[in-house]
Amino acid sequence: MTPTPVPTPTPASATGLPVDALDALLRSMADDEFVIGFSDSEWTGIAPILEEDIAMSSLSQDELGHAAALYGLLAELLGGDADADALAYDREPDQYRHARLLDHGRGDWAMTIARRYLYETADAVRLAALTGGSWAPLTGLVGKMVREERYHAMHIGAWLERLAAARGEPRDRLETALAAVAPDAATVFAALEGEADLVQAGILAAPMAELAERWQAAISPTLSRLGLRIPSSTAASASRGRTDHGEPFAWLWSEFTMVRRSDPGAAW
Amino acid sequence: MTDPLALDPVLAPEERTPVPSREGVTPDAWVERFEAHVAAGHKVEASDPMPDEYRTAVLRFVEMHANSELMGVLPEREWLMRAPTLRRKLALTAKVQDEVGHAQLLYRIAEDLGKSREAMFDDLIDGRTKFHNVFHYPTRSWADVGIIAWLVDAAAIVAQQALRDSSYGPYARTMRKICWEESVHIMHGRDVVLTLVTGTPSQRAAVQDALDRWWGPLMQMHGPRSPREKDRDLHWRIKAKTSEELRQEFLTIYVPRLLELGLVIPDPALRFDEASALWQYTEPDWDELRTVVTNHGPMSQARLDFRRLAREETRWVRESILAAPRPAPRVA
Amino acid sequence: MSTLEPWDVFRQEKDGDPMRHGGSVMAPDAELAVHYARELFGRRQESVRLWVVRRADVLDLDDPDLLQPPLDRSFKKPGGYVMRDKLAAARRASGQPKPRARPG
Repeated sequence: MTPTPVPTPTPASATGLPVDALDALLRSMADDEFVIGFSDSEWTGIAPILEEDIAMSSLSQDELGHAAALYGLLAELLGGDADADALAYDREPDQYRHARLLDHGRGDWAMTIARRYLYETADAVRLAALTGGSWAPLTGLVGKMVREERYHAMHIGAWLERLAAARGEPRDRLETALAAVAPDAATVFAALEGEADLVQAGILAAPMAELAERWQAAISPTLSRLGLRIPSSTAASASRGRTDHGEPFAWLWSEFTMVRRSDPGAAW
Repeated sequence: MTDPLALDPVLAPEERTPVPSREGVTPDAWVERFEAHVAAGHKVEASDPMPDEYRTAVLRFVEMHANSELMGVLPEREWLMRAPTLRRKLALTAKVQDEVGHAQLLYRIAEDLGKSREAMFDDLIDGRTKFHNVFHYPTRSWADVGIIAWLVDAAAIVAQQALRDSSYGPYARTMRKICWEESVHIMHGRDVVLTLVTGTPSQRAAVQDALDRWWGPLMQMHGPRSPREKDRDLHWRIKAKTSEELRQEFLTIYVPRLLELGLVIPDPALRFDEASALWQYTEPDWDELRTVVTNHGPMSQARLDFRRLAREETRWVRESILAAPRPAPRVA
Repeated sequence: MSTLEPWDVFRQEKDGDPMRHGGSVMAPDAELAVHYARELFGRRQESVRLWVVRRADVLDLDDPDLLQPPLDRSFKKPGGYVMRDKLAAARRASGQPKPRARPG
């Protein structure tokens, strides 16, 4: 079920669209938004103060809304039986293609902010590279996502500044969290199969490796000013940047599929 | 202390009769005039003078309501990570978020009456204050999520609609916002239940099982009958209806809606008595209610422990960031 | 010691509506106060504009001697001008009918 209606694409076979590469792109973006939205929604009810609880939950809901729209677009592109829910839920854990950056578990508040900051900034660069692309259904959706992501950048940015500016425990926790996740940050830009076709077709502005460099350049001034380490633009785990997800995701998958697996094929 | 709530122009002219002045009257005479003021349906604002008994009664009432919203987050939160479709995941997350929002709105009212949020959390976690009986029970299946969102919220909204007329202005106004949001939750819950009862046999059985377990707590939720004239909250017009009036109203609306789904209400004695125009039902287990709300329910300690642990894990954020010096202005 | 303090939020439901008090949030500074105001009073698209004010900066005036002064102020209000009888007399004298209510 797709909460946000998405434009209906022309049947892929008739247009010469690079369907396989688009599948890889949409799936990677949708899985990213789905996994980070699901993970961070766990803060709902237990965040540091009630006001912040509501804010973090809104961010998670936005990401889940983006995931729903992207899965919906993918379902229409593929034209098969699988709807957005089937694409989101009905896969084995090793078939998910989210970035390994999102495989670190919820952690403490500093971990959440660190991971979220790196992801939000990377996603912004990716969305910018899709803005004005040649495939209208995607650019239409990207335009809406970009508007919602503005608030995410403001809010997560505000927290990064506060954690970094506070002496002692908050700063220490932030540095520890960044050290843990930064090596995986560039996995958001892990090479996609067929990405050259996307660039060729004018759907994606530049190859992922180049976007990784743009992202690093975009965040460097802020991180330098705050005296925080700038993450590498090449991930240590680049070759398996969107596979091989590990324990925290295995737990998340077992949770989010639990009800669906209890009565396969039922409507919910 | 300035309280801009007093500036709010939402009250109708007849509600804006100022609280009687204390000047030139004896304390007893002033309390009498204050009682007459609320008895006539007039409002009290946060910055108005009010008798200690009234302030305490409003604070106690609102604090318990706020506690219930905060603890009410937890039973459904256990299914937050298991919502089985994108739409359900969004709806349930938004619903649990709303409960947090209601807790915020209500704790703000209580804070303005003079008790800090931290003190209220301390009292809740240490068992000195209470929360509603229904949040002391376990959630066993996805069907529980539907039954809670539909029927627990419905029972709550029946009470909350009556509170829109509360004599305490900030509470009455907040109830209008909360009732509006709760109405969305009821739609979400009813849709979940409807989908399950029209689904597979095991889905349908799960709904009946959930109803069987939740019916008792639902019937206890509004509390035992108590004589109108002895109820101080009614006297002060903090609330407008008795427990039994609320229970009758709930039954009138929801018994037919349950029956039309082919569900069996687990009370053989339940029937509408035409002569008295009242629902007859098996007397709810008031011992169970007393046991549960004094934190001896099946999940009371587990939920309080969870709340305590979550609060400890984020203490450093509150104690550092929320007290930290302002960060330097951002470079554009 | 926390520096959390209350910020009051006024909201406009749609273009042209008055700003009405919505409630308040606790926040440590103006930036987060604005974010939290957005969350509590705008997350479901129910507002088109918010005003966020530090409560300590709000001036509260409810002194009846200033706002509800006891002596006559009817000359400041439309209802303070009662002309019916004088108009009737003037019409009788002029022989003109009562003007029709304006259309609309």
